[in-house]
Amino acid sequence: MAIDGADIIKAAAFLGAGLSMGLGAIGPGVGEGMAAAKACEAIGKNPKEAGLLTRTMLVGQAVSESTGIYSLVIALLLLFVV
Amino acid sequence: MSNDFQTWVNVAAYIGGGAAMGLGAIGAAIGEGYTAAYANSAISRSPNLSGEIFKSMLVGQAVAESASIFALVIAMVLLFTEFSSQSFLMIFVPLSAGLSIGFGAIGSGVGSGFPAGAACMGISRQPAMSAKLTTNMLIGSAVCQTPAIFALVTSFILLFTDFSSSPVSPTWAAILGAGLASGLGAIGSGLGGGLVAGASCDGIARQPKSATTVTNVMLLGQAVTQTTAIYGLLISFILMFKTFAPTDSIAAAMALLGAGLSIGIGAIGPGIGEGFTAQSAVSSIAKNQKATAEITRVMLVGQAVSESTGIYALVISLVLIFVI
Amino acid sequence: MQELGKVHQLIISIFGHNMVFNLEAIAMTWIVFAILILFGFFASRKKSRLPGPLQAMGELFVSQLFALTEDALDKDLAKTYGPMITALFMFLLLSNWIGMIPYLEEPTKDLNTPLSLGLMGFVIAHYAGIKSKGFKTYAKAYFEPIFFMMPLNLIGELAKIVSISFRLFGNIMGGSIIILVVSYLTYSVILPPFLNAFFGLFVGGIQAFVFTMLTVVYISVQVK
Repeated sequence: MAIDGADIIKAAAFLGAGLSMGLGAIGPGVGEGMAAAKACEAIGKNPKEAGLLTRTMLVGQAVSESTGIYSLVIALLLLFVV
Repeated sequence: MSNDFQTWVNVAAYIGGGAAMGLGAIGAAIGEGYTAAYANSAISRSPNLSGEIFKSMLVGQAVAESASIFALVIAMVLLFTEFSSQSFLMIFVPLSAGLSIGFGAIGSGVGSGFPAGAACMGISRQPAMSAKLTTNMLIGSAVCQTPAIFALVTSFILLFTDFSSSPVSPTWAAILGAGLASGLGAIGSGLGGGLVAGASCDGIARQPKSATTVTNVMLLGQAVTQTTAIYGLLISFILMFKTFAPTDSIAAAMALLGAGLSIGIGAIGPGIGEGFTAQSAVSSIAKNQKATAEITRVMLVGQAVSESTGIYALVISLVLIFVI
Repeated sequence: MQELGKVHQLIISIFGHNMVFNLEAIAMTWIVFAILILFGFFASRKKSRLPGPLQAMGELFVSQLFALTEDALDKDLAKTYGPMITALFMFLLLSNWIGMIPYLEEPTKDLNTPLSLGLMGFVIAHYAGIKSKGFKTYAKAYFEPIFFMMPLNLIGELAKIVSISFRLFGNIMGGSIIILVVSYLTYSVILPPFLNAFFGLFVGGIQAFVFTMLTVVYISVQVK
């Protein structure tokens, strides 16, 4: 079995894609959970503002998700472009 | 040469057994210690209830310990089973089975400690509610063990499936990936589910009237928290039961290992995050029962959004398995 | 275990391109449509002050989901989008539950169904955004905080389609694969009915609700 350089590069790219998305998912997952936790608490104190609080929570979560999306982009680049 | 091969299988089985018990002991020990710490502070607060609190501590610790008992069972199987298969895959099977239950027991062990500790504190605060608190703690920590049970199922399937007819080259990575996917994937959900159960015990102790609502919302929150562990189980089932074409390429094997790692590690964060959300939701509902509908709705939406990075990891895993 | 990942497909070749139709999903979608249309017809046929069981069920769905839409959007917008949201929820709920009937399968098990529903929600949300804010304000949101963040903001928006559709697909598909494997391992003794109840009724119901809620919420984020 001759070891092919291109094969090893592909192998590293695939493993890297898995690691990129896996590790990149930890932070946003915890962070978005914290945002939602505080939103739940706030609604418990002031249920009338539920609509406004939900919207604020979603915008905040969308921003904290952006690092997860960078990981997704890198993973897809590793899979299909490199 | 066959003698030499048997040596390697034994080496893998012993490493796997050691990893299973070593990793599997971490979570339960932390969880039980947490419970004991809170039981002590509860007894110091109301010494006359020490019998009740002591009983609740022991029951809670017993549940928390079941995760590490699963690991012990797998370690025993690995140490004392004769693996006679002649396929080279037999080197990876015990290693993967050990890693799966080893990692999988961490989250549930730690998580089960939270409701037990909260129940001990709750009994010292509201002695009249001790029966309801114990029931709620038992339900909560039993659900919290589910991710560890997923990892246990994966370990057993790995050990008792006959892989000897599968091609060695990509299947070794699939086996290793399967163990890591459900093992690592169980950490976050186990921990998150524990946070929810702890908050519900606390809430019942503070607001005894809200007990039924709080238990229901706890179960809903835990069920959603467990979705990421289910994604890990899904990927490991696909990796174990799909037939792969034989290949010499390292890249094909690494794609399967990468698929397991992606969803395994990727499920940790969302699991914990969803647990935080449901924890706050449960404790807010205990304080303000009138807002149950609004809080439950926001909890579900918030959990769904914090799960999205876990879903990206699932997508990458599926692409690595089916497209590459 | 041969059934894993096997689908009945119809492949038609047009101008050298192979068009693949997933027959099961199409048939099941039509069955769900038929049941919902019949339900709608019979529930609204005899409208009375004292509603019968079907009318009561229909009223429950409509009033609950309209209230939910009104909470997130304004009253006027809720009138526009309420019917769509109600229909979406009923379709998803029935689609997720239909797999519990023997010989029938969930249409949501095929990625194309959640993906097209997610795409529909995305298009509607952005249409609503452009309509209420005007194109300039809408487009400006993509160039924040700095102009070169535009591609990443765009990917972030598109990733919403991926996450909303894969959430439904992963849960339903995952449930059915897990039930299949467990039934195979236990020779269909004891466990599968409980798993069916959990994955079918419980997870199916939650995921239908989450998908609908997220569609409403995406619209409300774009509008405000």
